[in-house]
Amino acid sequence: MANFQVKRDDSDHYSVLRIGGFLDAHTAPQLEEAIQKLIDEERYNIIIDFKELNYISSAGLGVFMGFIENIRNNSGDIKMCGMNPKIYRVFDLLGFPSLYDIVNEEKEAVEKF
Amino acid sequence: MKRNISTWSLLLPLALFVIAVLLKSPVSSQPDQIYILKEILIFGAILLSIPLIFHQKWASDRNVLRGLRQLFFFIFLTYFLLLFFRQSWPRSALTFNEPDYLALVLWSVYSFVFAMICIGILRNLIFIKRKRSTLRNFSVLLFFLVFYALLGVLNNQLDIPKEVVDSIHYFILFILLNLMVINSLRISWINYLNKKQKITLFWSGLFLIPFLIHLTVLYYQSSPIIHFSVVLDRFVNQSILLLTVYTSFALIGLLAHLPTAQLFDRKIRQIESMHNLSRAISTEFDLNKLVVLIVKLVSDVTESDFAWLELSDEKNRKLVLVSSRNLKEKEKRNREVFYHQQLIEFLSDQNEPYLVNQVSKDEHAKFLLAWKKDIGSVLIVPLYSVEKTVGFLYAAKRQEFAFEQDDIDMMRAFSEQVIVALENARLIKESIEKERLQQELLVARDAQMKLLPKSMPKLQNIQIDAICRTANEVGGDYYDFLSLDDHQLGVVIGDVSGKGPSAAFYMAEVKGIINALAKTQTSPAKILCQVNRTLYPNIERNQFISMIYGVLDVRERTFTFARAGHCPVYLASPLSNKVDILEPRGISLGLNSGPIFDKTIEERKISLNAGETLLLYTDGAIEARNKNGKEFGEERLIEGFLQYKEHSVSEIKLNLLNYIYKFVEDEKSFDDLTFILIQAAQKFTV
Repeated sequence: MANFQVKRDDSDHYSVLRIGGFLDAHTAPQLEEAIQKLIDEERYNIIIDFKELNYISSAGLGVFMGFIENIRNNSGDIKMCGMNPKIYRVFDLLGFPSLYDIVNEEKEAVEKF
Repeated sequence: MKRNISTWSLLLPLALFVIAVLLKSPVSSQPDQIYILKEILIFGAILLSIPLIFHQKWASDRNVLRGLRQLFFFIFLTYFLLLFFRQSWPRSALTFNEPDYLALVLWSVYSFVFAMICIGILRNLIFIKRKRSTLRNFSVLLFFLVFYALLGVLNNQLDIPKEVVDSIHYFILFILLNLMVINSLRISWINYLNKKQKITLFWSGLFLIPFLIHLTVLYYQSSPIIHFSVVLDRFVNQSILLLTVYTSFALIGLLAHLPTAQLFDRKIRQIESMHNLSRAISTEFDLNKLVVLIVKLVSDVTESDFAWLELSDEKNRKLVLVSSRNLKEKEKRNREVFYHQQLIEFLSDQNEPYLVNQVSKDEHAKFLLAWKKDIGSVLIVPLYSVEKTVGFLYAAKRQEFAFEQDDIDMMRAFSEQVIVALENARLIKESIEKERLQQELLVARDAQMKLLPKSMPKLQNIQIDAICRTANEVGGDYYDFLSLDDHQLGVVIGDVSGKGPSAAFYMAEVKGIINALAKTQTSPAKILCQVNRTLYPNIERNQFISMIYGVLDVRERTFTFARAGHCPVYLASPLSNKVDILEPRGISLGLNSGPIFDKTIEERKISLNAGETLLLYTDGAIEARNKNGKEFGEERLIEGFLQYKEHSVSEIKLNLLNYIYKFVEDEKSFDDLTFILIQAAQKFTV
């Protein structure tokens, strides 16, 4: 399987994690680590940019579920943007759109905070 | 056979000797037939006793010290006997009377036995680490010893000028002395003694030598054997001379070995420790026992006052003291508190053993003093495996400058063995754990398989078939059928995110909840809501279960279902050329505590007309990938389903599977996969 990358961009009120490649059970710990670091730094407004992501498995989806409660309790949120149709289909099937704000552009995600 | 030989070799000389004793002819200046016969008999007795030297058992070459102790004892016994009785020996043969003759014979026998024992013990010493020439040299020595004794008869019996006889004597004696020296050079047994034994032997030898020389002189001057037999007298005298020569050489050898004795001992101990370690590697796979052994051997090899082993612990990023020698409990506790982090950081960049001669003056090693106050010098060896330092081995002494260059070389070689040993033990431990895990997975898989229905439900006018393939030991897929009443069947298909034993556990939990609810609650959406509420508090936050629950009514020919984040249901009709994708709203189980789940979930009811087929599946079917990383995808599944929709449920199932296999080309390369097929009969019978 191809690699997984996560890149972080910090702005004043929020941080963006740009993820790419394959997010599955093997690479999920990388993303977990990145989100955990944001939480440790008390940066609770997080945007995940999916533009470069090619594949996501159920273990990958589980990563967001694992943190959301903690983040929302600290009046933050995870917003998602830039999914390609295939990735969105996976999120949609599982019912994620009713749990998360999933938008097309990063701009829209920022406005949602 | 061998026993017979030694019996004969004992009896035969004895017989000859007894005859000689009975001949009772004193040595005189007049040649006498009987005298010559007597000497020849005694010579024969000596000659025939020679094999005894080779067969005797009183000193084994395994135990050099026992032979030496016996020798020591006999020498002193003989010395004092000789000293004590010297005055009362008859001065000349003419004074012979019966009791004197008996005493003379007894003394001769004793002296002969003493000589034989001496030669026997010397033979054992000489033959240690024997070479091909050893036996030859020793045999030649014995030959000349006996030959020289025989020459004694020449002395006064034959009519040869005295000068000639004397020259022959001295010549033979010269050869004999040379042979004694050659044989006395064989003292390699000294090498195998330890330092203490060498010192003891040296002082005993030094103490013994004056007595031995005196003994030799006494025998030459005042032993009365000459009155009994010249041949025997010469044989005994030369044997004792041999003993003295050999002892002197051994003493010189011991002296030469003394300065290096300690070094030699050390080397031997080091080799032994290395050997022990090599043996431990091949036999000891228990890591806990191995580390204890390693520390013990290190302390032996370096003769250290203290030794300990620290291994890195993946979790704590701190070195853990796994075994120690002579460290007090308090020091171990203090080590935790005053952990020598700075030293470790410095050592991590070192691949070579680090020797500190003065701990208190070393900027790195002084941190050890925080918890271990009484060390003067320390030798630290990094254990460097493949690409990282796995730990450190410490040997410490109270004194400063207590280690030598030799120790460093030794420890370097030692550490390489230690790494192999540790690595082996670790691998073994890992493989045992892996096997246990494998076993657990098999149990989980077994449990999971038992959760699946054992047979397909038989219904009127409706055919059902299903398959669940797991790619790994324990998959996350699940399906089930529940008989609700005589005309209603509950249908469940689900997929637990993640795999392994926990997936099987959640499956079992969900199966239990649904079984309990389905009897009292008929609405699939409400059942799923309740399953979600029950499951949510018990499931890991990053895990969830997608599921479809539906009720198939055989009488009404309807399928009522709700979808909790699962893949949609496909409906194919014989009349239509496309598949209906049925995807009511709903989120997966375990994502939300209830409010959003309940609000979102939607129930759908469809009727099954003649020849129509429903396909329920898990995402393994569409996520199967071929070599190029291309996904099988929903489109291909729909395509395949359309292609085979007219077939029976079993045929559709097999054809779809083959269709996927053909696409991925390698059966092993896809995830878990589950199909449920429900087909209404072409013609309904009542």
